[in-house]
Amino acid sequence: MNNFIQIIIRKVGSLLATLLVMSFIIFMLVEIMPGDVAQMILGQSATEESVAALRESRGLNDPVLVRYGRWVVNVIQGDLGESIYMQGVTINSILWRRVGHSLILAFAAFILFVPLSIFFGVLAGVKEKTVTDSIISFFGLATMALPEFVSGVFLISIFAVQMKVFPIVSVIPIGESLFENLDIVILPALSITFVMFGYISRMQRSSMIIVMNSDYIRAATLKGMPRRYVIFRHALKNALLPTITIIGMNMGWLFGGLIVVETLFGFPGMGSLLMTAIKTRDVPLIEACVLLITVIYSVSTMITDLLYSYLNPRVRFAGGQR
Amino acid sequence: MNKRTLFAALCLLLLPASLIFAGGDKESSQDVEEKVVRVASQVPGLITPGSWDGQVFSLNSSIYEYLVEINPETGELDPVLATSWETSDGKSWIFTLREGVTFHDGSTFDAEDLKFTIERTQDPAVGHLKKNDFAIVESINIIDPYKVEIKLKESRPTFIYLMTDYNMMMLSSDYDYASKGESKPMGTGPFKMEQLIPKESALLVKNTEYWDPALPKLDKIIIYFVPDIEASISMLEADRVDIVPFVTPVIKNRLASNGDLSVIAPYQEHRFISLVQGMEPFDDNRVRLAFKYTMDPEVIAKSVAQMELNEGIFYNEVPVMNNQAEYLDLPLRERNIEKAKELLTQAGYPDGVTVDLYFASDHPFGKELAQTIKELSAPAGFNLELKGYTRDIYLSQYWLKAPMCITGWGARADISMLLNYAFRSDASWNESHINIPEVDVLIDKIRSEVDPDVRLGYYHELQKIFYDEGTIINVQVPYLVAVNNRVVNYRQPISMLPQYKYMDIK
Repeated sequence: MNNFIQIIIRKVGSLLATLLVMSFIIFMLVEIMPGDVAQMILGQSATEESVAALRESRGLNDPVLVRYGRWVVNVIQGDLGESIYMQGVTINSILWRRVGHSLILAFAAFILFVPLSIFFGVLAGVKEKTVTDSIISFFGLATMALPEFVSGVFLISIFAVQMKVFPIVSVIPIGESLFENLDIVILPALSITFVMFGYISRMQRSSMIIVMNSDYIRAATLKGMPRRYVIFRHALKNALLPTITIIGMNMGWLFGGLIVVETLFGFPGMGSLLMTAIKTRDVPLIEACVLLITVIYSVSTMITDLLYSYLNPRVRFAGGQR
Repeated sequence: MNKRTLFAALCLLLLPASLIFAGGDKESSQDVEEKVVRVASQVPGLITPGSWDGQVFSLNSSIYEYLVEINPETGELDPVLATSWETSDGKSWIFTLREGVTFHDGSTFDAEDLKFTIERTQDPAVGHLKKNDFAIVESINIIDPYKVEIKLKESRPTFIYLMTDYNMMMLSSDYDYASKGESKPMGTGPFKMEQLIPKESALLVKNTEYWDPALPKLDKIIIYFVPDIEASISMLEADRVDIVPFVTPVIKNRLASNGDLSVIAPYQEHRFISLVQGMEPFDDNRVRLAFKYTMDPEVIAKSVAQMELNEGIFYNEVPVMNNQAEYLDLPLRERNIEKAKELLTQAGYPDGVTVDLYFASDHPFGKELAQTIKELSAPAGFNLELKGYTRDIYLSQYWLKAPMCITGWGARADISMLLNYAFRSDASWNESHINIPEVDVLIDKIRSEVDPDVRLGYYHELQKIFYDEGTIINVQVPYLVAVNNRVVNYRQPISMLPQYKYMDIK
């Protein structure tokens, strides 16, 4: 157990260092984006005086390192600042609402694609080189090859335009919450499922084939154990490890990287907020969104590593020895 | 163990099912009782008066009001917060204000508010976009609470048109617009801001204290801020919104087969193709003329807007719109490639010439126009290198410095404003670097002449100069708005400010 605590401490330290470096990179990347922020905000009618007044009021005239330092200190205190457009409105009040929406979407997608992908991956692995395997593999490959904006349009055409089962866009009427409009989550979640199904099911299939051909499974089968028992009690446990890694590595994307899906469906999540922030050059909002996505990626990767260490004694043991 | 597995499987099945059947038809049942119009709009930038970038007109134009408004049918000025205005010399202006008007916070609109609004344009802390225009104001004298005299430093017979600018809404002298202008906009308009979800949506409700008891006709306006125009159109097609402004001709054609929707063009905007006089090769008028001879207005109309010429899209070589009273109907130059080649040869370019053409690639009609004029001018020897950038980069890095460019300009009811901004040799937005002394003289005359007939004569004289040696080609493209046919009386004049108070829904 001590070894495991050491692993956790090392991972958290590494996470904090990563976040510090990333915060600097994010800030600098936004800084070197072409064009003048104040000019863009004020548009074609901007005069030199109006641009100067806006730069002054938003603190854009300070040296870049001063602004970075101020930003980092505020972020550590939980203050993400104000949107450059919305004086008096904090980014916290804009961002967390969207994060909540994205979490619900991610959860909906998760409960759709994880059981489906694992089930069909196991089925394809167990029925290797049969018609079932071919059909599942072909479908997995096809969904993997389809970008989410293509599968999204496909889903909209069928379920929203033709069948009229789901709303065509994921808009929440003002005055209502996402919980009152959960039907708007379905099509974006299905679109994500399309993308993820191929990756997860193929990974599950491969690891299932390797495990099913291993000596201990052959021994269990020769001992006369029922096939279902061998698959679910012995094989699946080990065959799930690589799949968990892949799922964990995609959790960051699932929570914060759904820019295309959210924009296509008009879903009010963090991805579409980032898109809006980039389009309008809302610098503090871009920085807050990207930093949060970085945090989510880093934390989900860390949790995956820890889970993997916990499930795999060889990793845990090797980690503790160092 | 088996029971637990079964329970988990059931949960997994029930969750998606609950998502599927959640929601419902709340919005439609709500709409039956109230008159609601829903708009899908761009995500707003700054909306504080004075810094407003002119996007998301539906929001500010419903909350705020102006002294006067342009009647989209007649083009004349209609009284709003000013009931009358008069001047004898163009230098001294008397405004009579409407009585009984209150702001949304309950305070009364009077002469102090007009004085505050105009003086605020000169406040350096505001960085007002109309600072230069209102620098002409010498003094503001309050005669009584509803009568104000504004004295100008020089004669400006069209000063009243400055009051139609979208940043010149009347503001309350008691309200802190610096800190509340973005999150709690407040004016005297027909609708009040009820709720604003930043970057997502806004709910405007009828101002029951509005000075005209017959208006507004709607109970609510819901504005969704949608960053993607395709998503906005999907919302319109799915009957989730009723109005989508700023659509492209491609979308217009796509919606043509939908009997429930229409695409209207309430007004035209300029797309100036600037042939920059201050830089090679257009510093030679023969090259400018050669380029003009390569153009084919009918091809431009079809290629850029998929419309017939003079049916929503117009073309000329002067800074006046074809449908404005001041326009001089000069004959269209016929396409003549041989003559263009000859002029280029005379100017010292017998083997043709390469020019960088800068434009905002994300602005409607920008890239289509750039591509079309590139192909039209190529046979004469013009090799246009297309340099398309997003609008912010184009404006901040290349505009005013390019040898050739395409820029979108909103039309002005008072053309002299546009001339002063963009066509005087010393104008701050003189993108074509025009430097013709006669033009400067005529612009000054137009701006100060009180007699409208004499002023019209100056306008005609100016247009003849532009035809012979001007620095622009003026393509007038439609501002397109997609609306559900239930929407009645959509009004949006040349000032670009929609007048939702007159709008109704069947």
